[in-house]
Amino acid sequence: MDGPAPAGPFGARLPRKEDPRLLRGEARFLDDIEVPPGTLHAVFLRSPHAHARILGIDASGVRDIPGALVLTAADLPQLPPLRPDLPLPGFAVTERPLLCRDLVRFVGDCVAIVLAEDAYAAEDAAELVAVDYEPLPAIVTLEQALAEGAGSVHREAPDNVLFRNQVTTEGFDAAFAAAPHVFRETFVGSRVATVSLEPRGCLARHDPGLDETVLWSSTQVPHLVRNMLCEVLGLADTAVRVIAPDVGGGFGVKASVYPEEILAIAAARLLGRPVKWAGDRQDDFLSSSHARDMRFGVEMAMDADGVLAAIRIDVLANAGAYGGIPFGSSIEAGGGPRTFPGPYRFRHYAFRTRAVATHTTPSGPYRGVAAPIAFMAFEGMMDRAAAALGLTREEIRRRNLLDTADFPFVNASGIRYDIASHHRTLTKALALSEWEDFVLRRDADPDKIRGIGIACVTEQTGQGSTRYRARGLLRIPGIEAARLKMEPSGRATLAVSQTTQGQGHLTTFAQMAAEHLGIPPAHITVLEGDTAVSPFGSGTFASRSVVAAGGAVITAAEVIAKKMKRIAGHLLEADEADIVLRDGRAEVVGTGLSVTIEEVARTAYAMRPKGVPPGESFGLDTTEYWDQPFSSVSAAVHVAEVSIEKATGRVKVERYSIVHDCGRVVNPMIVDGQVHGAVVQGLGPALMERLVHDEHGQLLTTTLLDYTLPTALDVPDIAMEHIETPALDTKGGVKGMAEGGTIGAIPVLLSAINDALRPHGAWIHAIPVRAEQLLRIIRTQPGTPEG
Amino acid sequence: MSTVEITVTVNGSSRTRRVPDRLLLADFLRHELRLTGTHVGCGHGVCGACTVLVDGATMRSCLMLAVQADGASITTVEGLAPPGGLHPVQQAFHELHALQCGFCTPGFLASTIELLRENPDPSETEIREALHGNICRCTGYVNIVKAVRRAAELMRAG
Repeated sequence: MDGPAPAGPFGARLPRKEDPRLLRGEARFLDDIEVPPGTLHAVFLRSPHAHARILGIDASGVRDIPGALVLTAADLPQLPPLRPDLPLPGFAVTERPLLCRDLVRFVGDCVAIVLAEDAYAAEDAAELVAVDYEPLPAIVTLEQALAEGAGSVHREAPDNVLFRNQVTTEGFDAAFAAAPHVFRETFVGSRVATVSLEPRGCLARHDPGLDETVLWSSTQVPHLVRNMLCEVLGLADTAVRVIAPDVGGGFGVKASVYPEEILAIAAARLLGRPVKWAGDRQDDFLSSSHARDMRFGVEMAMDADGVLAAIRIDVLANAGAYGGIPFGSSIEAGGGPRTFPGPYRFRHYAFRTRAVATHTTPSGPYRGVAAPIAFMAFEGMMDRAAAALGLTREEIRRRNLLDTADFPFVNASGIRYDIASHHRTLTKALALSEWEDFVLRRDADPDKIRGIGIACVTEQTGQGSTRYRARGLLRIPGIEAARLKMEPSGRATLAVSQTTQGQGHLTTFAQMAAEHLGIPPAHITVLEGDTAVSPFGSGTFASRSVVAAGGAVITAAEVIAKKMKRIAGHLLEADEADIVLRDGRAEVVGTGLSVTIEEVARTAYAMRPKGVPPGESFGLDTTEYWDQPFSSVSAAVHVAEVSIEKATGRVKVERYSIVHDCGRVVNPMIVDGQVHGAVVQGLGPALMERLVHDEHGQLLTTTLLDYTLPTALDVPDIAMEHIETPALDTKGGVKGMAEGGTIGAIPVLLSAINDALRPHGAWIHAIPVRAEQLLRIIRTQPGTPEG
Repeated sequence: MSTVEITVTVNGSSRTRRVPDRLLLADFLRHELRLTGTHVGCGHGVCGACTVLVDGATMRSCLMLAVQADGASITTVEGLAPPGGLHPVQQAFHELHALQCGFCTPGFLASTIELLRENPDPSETEIREALHGNICRCTGYVNIVKAVRRAAELMRAG
């Protein structure tokens, strides 16, 4: 492995083991897999209506395409509907048909599977299927869904509320009533698509002789896909194998189990031929989960000194037509209030939250879930309160940030914070961004107005089984596992219950294990993404990997290291407590006596004259499970500087600084890269990205020409520093960190834009911020309020 | 469906195939020649993942038919370096962590190679302009820009 020699593998800026094959074009993404002979290529025929009755399906036209065939719900009568939400308090139990029989509920709902000898023929055949629809009125927006007499997306949820929750902490009303200042505002998120650059896809194969069913899928959750295939199709889990090959980005959108995965297996089993579906970009916009069509109504009560007294929020999330699996309809509506309290010290909290069904694409997890909008609301209120109370924005935050003496702290939504460095992080971020000198830069260009913004955010990471049970998400085990097997050579394989979509697991987990084993990371091969190889676990989502799977990796490495020390002690006639493992050797501290790790490993496998110690088992092979007891909360302060061109309203992000504390950093290069990418996934929704429906529920943004993503020209360089406060509640002192960049970017960019607009008296409270909107504000007389 | 015989030089080897006239160049490379390093991210010429070098110039292989490449010389990601080696641009992307999931990377490599051939010492702005036809969802472009500068150094030194 190249790169500078670190003191130890943990913390080293190690170039990634996964890179060379990706750089040479040798990776195997789903559509790169050589398909088995006889494979049928699938196109999913999707509803063109947001809400319609299916009067009939005439597939006779596909006879013109040799070998083409069509499967509808009538051909798969044994397929039960999905039930995304479980019968628990607050949830409406609704059903999602895998193939619609009578009714479609969003543009993109699956009506039929069209199969042919190649993908071109399948597309041709899909054009020849005639579906007779009777269009019905569509509910598109939150307002429509909640209006009197709106009608219902599901009869099981007559008021269209799929999930609701309401909590008021003790003493809230008195604290709220006693506060001298109450600030109120409603913040509106932008409905966005994730756009992993590789669309979803899968390849299903059933071997009746072996009774083996294999699904290759571009997924973040192979074990959960396997579990659902078994649950829905009644298959034995021993006969189903799910493989995530190289996956071209996930960010949450591939953490759900989708109908296409189940239908591909059902079709392959019915027809006795492999079935492949490689979704295209339009499939992805229509059928992969949307996110963050949310609003937060906030009432923030403060005392005369700008100290938070009590906060009440009312959260709405557009859940779309169905809940997803495994996260259900509560993902965003539940996550909003849970993440809202952030890095601040307040006890009195009340919230109401609702997930609302509409005739639109189902919503699901996307980097940060509800948190970017929650912090846009919280930080937006802090800026407004500072302005109203005559405090600086940094001072009002200092007065409310949790401090060292507060930890451990359990916040108003029940989340435990073990330790954090919020004040230091803020101070450092102000220095890194040259915050104090901004006055000198503000008016540097007469053609532009400039603003600077600040956002203090937290990120809840590493959730374990307790959190998922508390959320009613019983399809998510929450545990992770690692099987560490050192071979006789002294090299090891490490099979982890997760799968990687670019996060660098093959490198990071090797670094975490190497620290304990005394061998270089290059000698540890990490295996992931195959239910036949990886031990059971939940999958890669919610910034859990380094904490939840990392806990299993470290535990397994500790178990093997202990055994190696016992064997080495036996070989060297020394006390195992005096053995250290480093640089490929087991040494007796301070004596110069040592054996190689290889010698220890060969002894463990009975390949040496001397055996293992009496009573010791053979082999160096263990599987360890880890359940993270508490969420692990990372924190960051973002500072952004923007300019707005007076002539065009165009926003440019001029400078961007982050100071970040995610505990001990395993590989700073990878961590920085995660934050960079996350920031840009916040910049997009703040400044340009938005999914647009017409009044009939037709999605108008189904290409990358209509749905604008940030390019290299839209993105600034990002200055970043880390504070490493070792976590107390996790193995290895680590915290998760892959979403915080997005969580900080949306609020900080809105804060900077609002700062630039201050002379005009405008406060923007919705994203994306559009140039024409800014132009209108800039051209309006100063002091005119504008939304 | 009509088919046409085409001869294309791909990564230095002459390949003759009879192909459907509607076959996209991307599908020809990926599924006929099994050169699957070229990826299709959008299918409508925006994301740039399918970018290859056709007679030395970057082209979207999802917007070009295979028959249009008849007689052309094409370089895909598989042909950038000898087997087992890395082109200086690939090396720089590795050193500076300019890729995460790697799906967009072959397109960025092609665009970078074209840029550095025309401009061996590009400024940051010139790099951003040259790469703005390639979308990356993972890296935020920060390390890609740095890697292109590093690649320029390596190639000037090399």
